[in-house]
Amino acid sequence: MYIVNPFLLVVCVAVIGAGVLGTTFAFRRGNALLAAFIGGIAGTAGTLSFMAPLNFCTFEADRGFWDVVIGAGLIAASSAALLWLAFWILDRSARGLNVIPQADSHPGAFNGRRAWIGAVFCLLPTVGLLAVFSYTPIVNTFRFSTLLARFGTQRTAFVCVDNFSRLITDSDYIRILGVSLFLAAAIVIVGLSFALLIASMASQPVRGARIYRTLLIWPYAVSPIIAGELFEMLLTREVGVVNTMLGLDVPWLVEPTMARWSLVVASAWNLIGFNILFYIAGLQNVPDDVQEAAAIDGANAIQRFFYVTFPLLSPFTFFLVVTNTIYALFETFGMIDVLTQGGPLRSTYTAMYNVFKIGIEGQDLGKATAQSLVLLVVVVAITIIQFRVSRDRISYTV
Amino acid sequence: MSYRHILVVFAIALMSIAIPVSAQETCTADSPCDIEVWVIFGDHRQDWTVDAANRFNEQYPQFNVVIENPGNYTQIVDNYTLIREEGGEYPAIVQVQDIQQQFALDSGFFVLFEDVLGDREEVLDIPTNLDDVIDGFNPYYTLDGTLASFAWNSSTPIAYHNMDLWREAGLEEPPVTWQELRAGCEGLRERIESGELEACASWPFTGWFVEQWMAQQNQEWVNNGNGREGRGTEVILDSPGMIAVAEFYQDMVAEGFYLFPSPDYFGSLQLFNQGEVAVTMASSADARFMDDAAAEAGIDLQTSLMIYNGDAEGGWNGNPVAGASMWISNGLETEVEDGALAFLLWLSNTENSASWHTASGYVPVRDSSVELLGRLEPGNEIFWDRDENARTDIEDADWFAANPNFLTASTQLGGGEVTNGTLGPVFGTMSETRTLIQETMERIVAEGLDPATELAAASEQATELLQEYNLLFAGE
Repeated sequence: MYIVNPFLLVVCVAVIGAGVLGTTFAFRRGNALLAAFIGGIAGTAGTLSFMAPLNFCTFEADRGFWDVVIGAGLIAASSAALLWLAFWILDRSARGLNVIPQADSHPGAFNGRRAWIGAVFCLLPTVGLLAVFSYTPIVNTFRFSTLLARFGTQRTAFVCVDNFSRLITDSDYIRILGVSLFLAAAIVIVGLSFALLIASMASQPVRGARIYRTLLIWPYAVSPIIAGELFEMLLTREVGVVNTMLGLDVPWLVEPTMARWSLVVASAWNLIGFNILFYIAGLQNVPDDVQEAAAIDGANAIQRFFYVTFPLLSPFTFFLVVTNTIYALFETFGMIDVLTQGGPLRSTYTAMYNVFKIGIEGQDLGKATAQSLVLLVVVVAITIIQFRVSRDRISYTV
Repeated sequence: MSYRHILVVFAIALMSIAIPVSAQETCTADSPCDIEVWVIFGDHRQDWTVDAANRFNEQYPQFNVVIENPGNYTQIVDNYTLIREEGGEYPAIVQVQDIQQQFALDSGFFVLFEDVLGDREEVLDIPTNLDDVIDGFNPYYTLDGTLASFAWNSSTPIAYHNMDLWREAGLEEPPVTWQELRAGCEGLRERIESGELEACASWPFTGWFVEQWMAQQNQEWVNNGNGREGRGTEVILDSPGMIAVAEFYQDMVAEGFYLFPSPDYFGSLQLFNQGEVAVTMASSADARFMDDAAAEAGIDLQTSLMIYNGDAEGGWNGNPVAGASMWISNGLETEVEDGALAFLLWLSNTENSASWHTASGYVPVRDSSVELLGRLEPGNEIFWDRDENARTDIEDADWFAANPNFLTASTQLGGGEVTNGTLGPVFGTMSETRTLIQETMERIVAEGLDPATELAAASEQATELLQEYNLLFAGE
């Protein structure tokens, strides 16, 4: 029993799609009828893309409210994406532009009618490898996310979007996401600030600067797990180097706030080599004449840094913010496992660590794949926001 | 040639291939059968095991026991599962951690020890003597009424006391109940408050200890007799016994008597070894490490039973064995299967089990081994010399008199009642539930939450997880 008849649902979305695209092109150049027809197909395909494999399970009568919401969301998102694609194609063809990029005809490109055979032949190894090692796992990830599945048994149970909908109402998971975002933000801010500071110092014309620069990159050669071990040796309350040498009894990894900041410092340290590398490269590209001009205009060193150097470094900063965020969200779980095991009181328990705990230790594959997909969506969303926010603030030219 | 002719020729050809192959399967000294054994040890304990295997191979030249170390407990089971699912060559014997028993049983990859043994009283001239095994061991590894695997590396958590500090607190004997501990800690209050001592007690904050405390109180926390009289379907964490544990912790922390250690298992042990706390608790397998550290630091170390709830009915009722046991793969040739069975019996015979104890600190599996260690004679070659990688004589006639802290674990494991409560539960999601118990307890203690409410919520979570497991592994 369904709360909405699947057939009716498909028809509804198709009609909406037809309506949207049809009316859009009725007010533009182009064939409104054709647009409506294509819109209908896009709406149907959009609905079926998720709902056919799921067998419209989100609209079964005994499903919860959030299942229905997720089902509707999936239909809306995939239909919208397809409608946008249809719009783009129709719009371009209406304006007489090419929809499919034309093949280059300069020497070296595949020419002639049978060109595609050569092209396919050359692409085959790559596509084959990607299919085996990338595309199949991705498809399986989606499939597993709708299953109750555990390592060690072939038996699985289809649970529709349960693995997702239970996360929405799970206050633990919301807190875990909060911790992940907090840690990511802290790691990025602390990491980049120190990296920029050190890179500025290392870029000064001092004796042995090259040696310093080389040494500064070293922490990046240490894997997060090893870095975690190092910081554990430093920070363990009972026998840690820091407490022992300074005669302190600070509960670095035992008190939640301190544990959190210990993790931030350890991660920032681990990344600092990578960040410094880019900032040093960036600083070398800041033209001296601009600095000189600013100096002649009366800007002091600090003003020159904030009004001249830092804006000129913005492409580097943007790149580093994106890569550091991804590192903080995805790569820190090894360090967390060594350093704090997510504790104390889950203060350092991140979403990726949860995926590791549930999927690898708990062998609960369905829930782990669902959560990794959620994490993927979060990262894509963050990256899009970062692109949007920084689009107007980055200057790639002097 | 007719169709029938072809068939006959094909059948003869097939038999001519098959006969020599099956003949080759016979294990002889000239072509011994391999028996691969997967263990978690990569240190001196692996050396001991390899030495044991070599001695077995000498005695039974038709077999070639090979010891492999493919990783820790989780990795071993994961790798083994993958190999089995993909149809590769798999080991004959696998060391499986206690909390993965149910999974091992449900996986369908193993034969049960007792099924292979049948009613035989000896295998390849090695007597089984199952009555000689310490009381709780075989019941612990008995699943669905059949002894499923055989004990090997067995341990139990015990208490390690700094007797110098206890004497300062006015105690002559180490405290062994929560209540005695609490009273003993009062005697150290001034020194703790003045900062001379870190705390009175600190031990790893682990769910394992909570499980042990439940067993000591003889309380079941999984339905169907702790999952031992039928598949467990419900986890009950908000029982009086568990709440008592939470309140004990809350009280100890509120008074400043218990110190939360770093997440590292050894954190609190190090505190103890620095003389910063009067008592810690840890696996009996750490006895050697603790003995050495105490000697170095000049601490008068004494071990005792794991500190228990003196107010519980019956006081101390027993502790279940921890560690791992050996499982035999299914699908082996009968001869190899028997060889594997013989190796396990041999590995835990009286002498080897005693020697294994001196090498590893794990509890001897047999009563006769404990007895043997108490009356050694020259030429016993029981002691494992790590530096020499060889077995040598123990100088003292009585190993336990010379190493009194090594006896506590045997006393604890052999002295209790054997009930479903003291044996502890068997269920598929024990590992996750252990973590859940630990995190719930941590929250209750650190944030001063109501134990009953929090544990009831944890029960629901644990039960849901178990039911999901049961659905997939048992279809119920």
